[in-house]
Amino acid sequence: MTTPVVERTNVKKTYMLGKVPVNALQGVNLKVEKGDFVAISGPSGSGKSTLLNMIGALDKPTEGKVFIEGVNVSTLNDNGLADLRRRIGFVFQFFNLIPRLTARGNVELTMSITGLGRDERRKRAEGLLETVGLKERVNHKPAELSGGERQRVAIARALANNPKFLLMDEPTGNIDSKTAKEIIELVMRLNEEKGATIIIVTHDQQIASQAKRTVQMLDGLIV
Amino acid sequence: MKVSDVLSYAFGAIRLRKLRAGLTTLGVVIGIAAIVALLSISQGLQDTITEQLQTGFATDTLIVSAGGGFGMGPGAMTATESDFKLLINYTQIINELENVRVAVAIIQKASYVKFGEREFILTIVGVNFTKYTNIYSSTFVAETGEIPLDPENETVVVGKRVSDPWKNGTSFCDVDDTVEIIWTNASRLPPKNETYVGHVAAVLKEIGGFSLTGPSDFSVYIPISQAQSFFGTDECDMIIVQLENDDEATIESVSEAIDEAFSGQVSVTSSTAVLDIISSVFSTVEIFLAGIAAISLLVAGIGIMNIMIVSLMERTREIGILKALGMKSRTVLLIFLSEAVIVGLMGAAFGIASGWGLANVVARVFSGGGGFMGAGNHAAAAGRMTITPVLTPTVFLGALAFGLIVSVIFALYPAWRASKLKPVEALRYE
Repeated sequence: MTTPVVERTNVKKTYMLGKVPVNALQGVNLKVEKGDFVAISGPSGSGKSTLLNMIGALDKPTEGKVFIEGVNVSTLNDNGLADLRRRIGFVFQFFNLIPRLTARGNVELTMSITGLGRDERRKRAEGLLETVGLKERVNHKPAELSGGERQRVAIARALANNPKFLLMDEPTGNIDSKTAKEIIELVMRLNEEKGATIIIVTHDQQIASQAKRTVQMLDGLIV
Repeated sequence: MKVSDVLSYAFGAIRLRKLRAGLTTLGVVIGIAAIVALLSISQGLQDTITEQLQTGFATDTLIVSAGGGFGMGPGAMTATESDFKLLINYTQIINELENVRVAVAIIQKASYVKFGEREFILTIVGVNFTKYTNIYSSTFVAETGEIPLDPENETVVVGKRVSDPWKNGTSFCDVDDTVEIIWTNASRLPPKNETYVGHVAAVLKEIGGFSLTGPSDFSVYIPISQAQSFFGTDECDMIIVQLENDDEATIESVSEAIDEAFSGQVSVTSSTAVLDIISSVFSTVEIFLAGIAAISLLVAGIGIMNIMIVSLMERTREIGILKALGMKSRTVLLIFLSEAVIVGLMGAAFGIASGWGLANVVARVFSGGGGFMGAGNHAAAAGRMTITPVLTPTVFLGALAFGLIVSVIFALYPAWRASKLKPVEALRYE
């Protein structure tokens, strides 16, 4: 049996909201295998985002263990976490593109962080933007792109470093339903054709139903 | 992340906020420009003064004058007002001392000098031409005519600027012209005007600048014997002593010997001592000026820090994105420091250029203007200095390094804070 891409055992996370401790996760177990397409859904405050931060190596659990590709996140220092994040493709609800960079610049940035050469990353960025259907928009800045186009740039950026899995946080939360449908189709195609592992956080049941597997969360627990 | 990518990212961030970066840079530019301008002018001034003193004031000479004053002999300080008179024939006493090559007495008085219709107040110097030529062999040299070595008649030698005051060829007097010197003898009652009609034997070649004791472009020279009878005195204003060499030991021993010979009633000044004093005064002034300029750079540094902290808040989300994409804290730190380095380097480069420009403008204003007969004709005595600002490699590199160091030091704290941002919190930041 291969190492699961993500494995979490009895993960708990408590953070302080002002002076009040909030138990965002109260013991979560989750395992994601290669090629999987998992949707994590649940109402606001159910701990989806906290779970996502943990899977994305943005945060460490208070208790329990998170393994990404067999590596225990809790044992990593800042640099180790940064290295790990390079192998994770993030897609955020608010796109989080760098406004002053063009679509291609944003995709290239991810590769320049890992130290890829200029020519190589330019070629690859253009290829990826073509994959997400933005061949004609490579030199446009985020402000000149529609919400759907921006999210496509974000997906191209997430794919740039050949990630082990794509981690999407409400990728369609900020775009209209027609565009959202196109984005989901793109994600499904990536999963089916390229075998990309996808973890998607959404409270949209329709999108969740497209996934191979759905995980429902409520009050910091998987139900 | 590659260094070139870090730099180009930092550069892009600066370009996005052109006005703000420009103003921050301006702070550094002003600080560096002030340092460069002040230091290069004072360096130029020092060079000019030193050089002119060295020409007009040979290093192997001592100046003996009556009374205390700023001499360096032990007796000089204790000498009080007395009726001691420095007589012209005291040169004989000095001549007999060891290590003395030649001693020459100088009588110096301000008088009216008439060139035809024109009349000016100039310094009349009575001196033995032969000895004076020996001591100042490079400056007391005729451009036209010939300095008479054994003048018995009423001969006059004039400085270059006396002949050609505006440097444009307008000639006030030339070789073979006749000049009239009118001196008011106020030591008797009623005061009487004495007149000396001289015949110009030579015009000195241009010396440049001013002079304390040596030949000057603005003086009129007459033979000492003539001066003696014209001014009706046996006293001289100073005796210039040329030594066998300019070793410090020689200067010291002759100074002491002269002081002893006149029982402490004269002051002996060596040119090297004056040069030493001048250069030590200048280094103090330079440190003081550089200190003032450094304060302005400090203010610029605080400006950089302020701007970077504001920019840090604005870019919190961006930093969160970069970290989520896997950028290491060290790289974030480097990006912020690079921005400071770019601002510091540009500021220093523009600062050095504008400081140098400023120094040249100031120098031109100071040394510009016409000849000695411009506004007040007595300006003749002081003369005009030409300051050429000097930008030494030390000042150049020092200014560059200083601008850079100040920028980086003040950017350290904001950069460190940026690098320590937690990605989860930074991404949540609105």
